[in-house]
Amino acid sequence: MKTIALIATKEFSDRFRSGWVIACVLVWLGAIGLTSLFGLAQIGRFGLQGYERTVVSLLNLVQYLVPLLALLLGHDLVASEREDRTLPLVVACGATRGYWLLGKFLGGCLTLAFPLALGFTIAGIVIGLTVRERGLGAFLILAGSSLLLGIVFVGVGLAISAFSRTRVQALVIALLAWSTAVFAFDLVALGVVVSSQAATASEEIEKATDATHVVSVEDLHRQYEGAKDNAQHLVPAAPRRFSPWLVLNPVDLFRAINLPQTVALRVPVAAAALAISVWLIVPLGFGVWQLRRLDL
Amino acid sequence: MNPFLEFRNVEKRYGPITALDGIDFCIASESTVALLGPNGTGKTTLLGCLLGLVRPSEGEIHLRGAKIGDRDRLRFGYLPERLALYQHRSVWDNGWFFAQLKRQPAVELEHQLKRVGLYAVQDRKVRQLSKGMHQRLGLAIALCGQPELLVLDEPFNGIDPARLDELQNILRVERDRGATLLIATHTISAIEPLATHVAILLDGHLAASGPIDELRAAHAEDSLETIYHRVARAQAQEGAMLPAPTKPGPTWKSALPSSRG
Repeated sequence: MKTIALIATKEFSDRFRSGWVIACVLVWLGAIGLTSLFGLAQIGRFGLQGYERTVVSLLNLVQYLVPLLALLLGHDLVASEREDRTLPLVVACGATRGYWLLGKFLGGCLTLAFPLALGFTIAGIVIGLTVRERGLGAFLILAGSSLLLGIVFVGVGLAISAFSRTRVQALVIALLAWSTAVFAFDLVALGVVVSSQAATASEEIEKATDATHVVSVEDLHRQYEGAKDNAQHLVPAAPRRFSPWLVLNPVDLFRAINLPQTVALRVPVAAAALAISVWLIVPLGFGVWQLRRLDL
Repeated sequence: MNPFLEFRNVEKRYGPITALDGIDFCIASESTVALLGPNGTGKTTLLGCLLGLVRPSEGEIHLRGAKIGDRDRLRFGYLPERLALYQHRSVWDNGWFFAQLKRQPAVELEHQLKRVGLYAVQDRKVRQLSKGMHQRLGLAIALCGQPELLVLDEPFNGIDPARLDELQNILRVERDRGATLLIATHTISAIEPLATHVAILLDGHLAASGPIDELRAAHAEDSLETIYHRVARAQAQEGAMLPAPTKPGPTWKSALPSSRG
């Protein structure tokens, strides 16, 4: 455990010194702040939104930015040390490959979690003080699921890194993985579902994938505007059956968890937990397996 | 009584190329073994197998009679031929990271840095060090924790005479302390005053090994360099006489990648 902690601490410290962490904090704070301020521009309004409406505006940004940051962070965790030839001395000094990989993973997760947590905390406090809204639940779910989404993609990036010979190769594969998860998967899934004539599943996937498009976000904001009793909350619709398609891609699962209740995609906690566990364990398992096979 | 370290039929193949071909030899405790051979003959690969960096295709390595494991390597010190450290970090940061991996206190690192003459520049970034200083930092890391086995890969490469003396003195102290030294080199003149045993590796297989005195007596020759060249020549002739060689005879250059010693 000491070895894992030592390697994780060194990884975080290296990233901190390189300015990576500070840059991420700034990017993240700026993104949340701007989204919260200008998220209603589509419907001709300006100003800080409440928690629930900030979540609707932020969903787009998080689903693109968090996996990208996580993959950029994870892609060179192993490849850089192989390329720089620093890994042999680490292994020769008694660090097992499995522990080393876990240490790198934890260090990567810390590096990602620090700016995310800081950004969400500051934005949460500012929104709470300014808008004076109490409906913090959706915002906390967004923060927690963003963190999990990031951790899953750090693991995917790490696995890519373990299988790559160079940083450049790892970066190219990481970008392909990102575009697949964020764009291509939905298109393929929709195509498969539509061609298989599974009408219910088709509708659910369409809801999940479409809800973060610009037009749909505008629709959601208009629904909030139209709500008579409280402009910050919507009346939940009756939940639909959950489609297992959505757990095949962590980005879709993330969307489904964070969509407002009017879209009514209820994700069973057990299914979500299982999917996240599989998405964590499988890439890490492949990474350790590959690293143990390598001659350094 | 079990030998300190035992290589049992260690083989390493890279596709069609055999880098190590059934290496069988033992190392006695507190001995200084010179692992000799031209470039590309498998010295670094053999050390890699010992250190867990390279997976042998076949065979095993035993330490005190038991198969070697990761925990055993905490008691080893290693100086690679192509030493790579964290360039953006200071001398102290690099040393401290590796000392912690070896579970050594700061005072031990401090002692080793003083010993190799780098304590005064401990705050300097590694990228600002000269090649010699870089190598000395690697040696300090290897010496950290008073290892029972010190594995050095071409430690005499590109070293000036004054530093060579210093390095030889440090290695003598380590040997007198009771450490076992395994030193891969092709700088025979530098290792000769230190070595108690010799292993000659030619094209991936062990051409000769044993106590240096026995080797001298067997060849009726005092100079290790002459003995080495005699063994290499004999090996080359033997290879040339084979009707259908399965691999090239011993030459100073090999088909193996240059990174492998």
